[in-house]
Amino acid sequence: MFASLTDKFQTIFKKIKNKGKLNENDIKNCLHEIRIALLEADVNYKVVKEFIDSLHDKIQQEKISESLTPTQQIIKIVNGEITLTLGSKQNDLSISPAPPTIIMLVGLQGTGKTTTAVKLANYFRKKGNLPLLIATDIYRPAAIEQLQVLGEKSDLPVFSMERNENAVNIIKAAIKYSSKKNHDVLIIDTAGRLHIDDKLMNELQEIDENIPFQEKLLIVDAMAGQDAVNSAKVFCDKIKVSGIILTKLDGDTRGGVALSLKKVLGVPIKFIGIGEKVDNFEPFHPERMASRILGMGDVLTLIEKVETAYNEDELKKLDKKMKDHNFDLNDFYLQLKKMKNIGSVDQIMDMVPGFNNLKNRIDVAKLGDREGELKKIEAIISSMTVEERENPSIINGSRRKRISRGSGTQLSDINRLLKQFYQIKEMFKRGPKLKNFSFN
Amino acid sequence: MNIKNVFSQFKEGLYKSRIELANKLAFLFSDSKDKSDFLEKLEELLILSDLGTCATAEIMNEFQQINFREYKENNFIFFKEKLKATLIDILNSTASDIKINEDRLNIIMLVGVNGSGKTSVAGKIAYRLKNINKDIIMVPADTFRAAAIQQLKILADKVGAEMINTKEGADPASVVYDGISAARARKKNIVIIDTAGRLHTKTNLMNELEKIKRVIQKEANDCSLEILQTIDATMGQNAIAQAEFFNKSLGVTGIALTKMDGTAKGGIVIAIKKELDITVKLISCGEKLNNLYDFKADKFVEALLD
Ligand SMILES: Nc1nc2c(ncn2[C@@H]2O[C@H](COP(=O)(O)OP(=O)(O)O)[C@@H](O)[C@H]2O)c(=O)[nH]1
Ligand SMILES: Nc1nc2c(ncn2[C@@H]2O[C@H](COP(=O)(O)OP(=O)(O)O)[C@@H](O)[C@H]2O)c(=O)[nH]1
Ligand SMILES: [Mg+2]
Ligand SMILES: [Mg+2]
Repeated sequence: MFASLTDKFQTIFKKIKNKGKLNENDIKNCLHEIRIALLEADVNYKVVKEFIDSLHDKIQQEKISESLTPTQQIIKIVNGEITLTLGSKQNDLSISPAPPTIIMLVGLQGTGKTTTAVKLANYFRKKGNLPLLIATDIYRPAAIEQLQVLGEKSDLPVFSMERNENAVNIIKAAIKYSSKKNHDVLIIDTAGRLHIDDKLMNELQEIDENIPFQEKLLIVDAMAGQDAVNSAKVFCDKIKVSGIILTKLDGDTRGGVALSLKKVLGVPIKFIGIGEKVDNFEPFHPERMASRILGMGDVLTLIEKVETAYNEDELKKLDKKMKDHNFDLNDFYLQLKKMKNIGSVDQIMDMVPGFNNLKNRIDVAKLGDREGELKKIEAIISSMTVEERENPSIINGSRRKRISRGSGTQLSDINRLLKQFYQIKEMFKRGPKLKNFSFN
Repeated sequence: MNIKNVFSQFKEGLYKSRIELANKLAFLFSDSKDKSDFLEKLEELLILSDLGTCATAEIMNEFQQINFREYKENNFIFFKEKLKATLIDILNSTASDIKINEDRLNIIMLVGVNGSGKTSVAGKIAYRLKNINKDIIMVPADTFRAAAIQQLKILADKVGAEMINTKEGADPASVVYDGISAARARKKNIVIIDTAGRLHTKTNLMNELEKIKRVIQKEANDCSLEILQTIDATMGQNAIAQAEFFNKSLGVTGIALTKMDGTAKGGIVIAIKKELDITVKLISCGEKLNNLYDFKADKFVEALLD
């Protein structure tokens, strides 16, 4: 996934390289790719539209064209914007100053309300509270039993009544019961309902009017599509939802719904569900969610590492060396070694000017990634004279034979290494000599 | 005998709130300023229906070819008919009904991700078949989720169908084995298997399903096997991966598209049909036992566009 987005960016930037500067059209092309990525992640169409417009300005302001690493720059900007939108200071659940704290879980059918109720109770127990689960789903067959079984398994108390009792009465009775038993957190599991089901939405409003809730949490399936904002909006309008919990993030969904909901509703996302077990439950992390929506996994961490290893000065030095044709075998070896230290050479090459454009990248990556290959290169280079390292063009047939004997490698190894080295050099010879030269 | 005859109306109960969409469509087809304006609105409509970027792009491509000036006059009808035809064309399929063979064992197994409606659809299918006096054995092979067995039991009782007994934590393949044996012993030729929800990315859980299928193939080699995957209409693009993985593991014979009584359009099935050629067979539009319908491409598309 990351590959697909960066690859697309790089194709765009390759064209830019020849012109030297990012024009309106180039930015448009990049934004187009970002747009597709977001839509594929199920971010709502309208949200994407708005988002792309604001990105446009941001990218223009950032003077991407002067950067040595425009691909990373853009990804960082996009990721930063998404993280900012997703983030929120009030991720914690608020606790009522006068116990009990009453929390209600609401949402569409099958999103994970009952499972999450138990996870939440478990979470509070770990924090030292004495939670009570309250079953009010009188509609779905065996829903009350489900909560009872789950509660029993985790040794968490569940309050329930007859199926013909209405939700408000059940909760009121539970509050009374809880005060005797010193429960300080009450977690209410409700029936799933469609936002257009007037009868059940009115029932929800009635519950809300009669019970003093500390938190009303909307449970949303992370695999949800475009319609999620519509249903969530109705829940928010009717009962002023205070937070969102995203469930089923243990699969491979990109979870763009997180971005849509946050942007449209402004309601914070507080927790995520990552499995069916009671402790598959975590606080929400905006940065991780952002990379996930963009389909980039841990690549941002990698970008960060590369940025630490290659600061701007270092990149400039490398740039200058290459342009002045001073890039020698020592440098080649040092670069490979450096990449290897950060991570996979293949991935890092994407991000390092000069290497990201190599025709035979795969071969070079193999050189760097394969165990032993780096050692081989090291052996070859250390068998060369200082003169040969700085000016490899003097390495003729007989010198190659000598180096081969000295390093205990095959002649073909030496030939391959030299070939790859020359290809890198060649690329820079052909590069345009513009002020805003971009490597990509 | 084929179930299709038994289920009649399909649009009833579908799309309670279609007004907003209808307005949008009228706008889309009549008020577009020019070609690019029209195409942008078309894209919005398709993406918002969860068709995804690939299927949308391909459909848009067909519209790109049209000479807009020629059709400007009465474009409303023309474009709508063209869009309808395009979508119906994608969805149409000859193998869209569930067949019940009188002369052998029929096994219908529900699979899908968590909460997508497997147990409900199992109950609804049983209800339909019971209504035409079929003898059914229900098999609770979801022995994992809390109270899943009870949930199916309640539905089976309502329908008046028999369910074999098991306990939470039992091996699902063994439960299926027992179900098949019971059907043979009691001379019932329809077995409906409810399975536990699982995300398609969980290899061990997918292996468990494969094992169930092997048991079926071994114990009832001559049966007619229907493996229905429930897809929740509110799902986005992940449903493509769901269908792909379940199909790869099991060979899904059809999709039951659930929760169509909401406002989600379920357009993902268009992408699934296009990319994986898996047919939608059933549509579920509500939580009542009779809210299950045969899928009809033209009706589905009409409901999407009207
Ligand atoms: N994989 C996974 N499954 C989940 C998660 N949360 C809930 N589920 C499953 O989703 C299904 C529906 O959950 P349930 O709590 O009954 O939903 P409700 O109808 O909203 O109460 C069940 O099979 C749960 O085990 C999650 O975070 N990951
Ligand atoms: N509104 C609506 N709800 C449905 C539909 N089908 C299933 N549900 C609900 O979705 C939830 C999960 O269904 P269930 O059959 O238990 O899903 P499973 O986990 O896949 O077995 C339950 O609350 C069902 O009542 C449908 O067509 N429309
Ligand atoms: Mg529930
Ligand atoms: Mg079930």
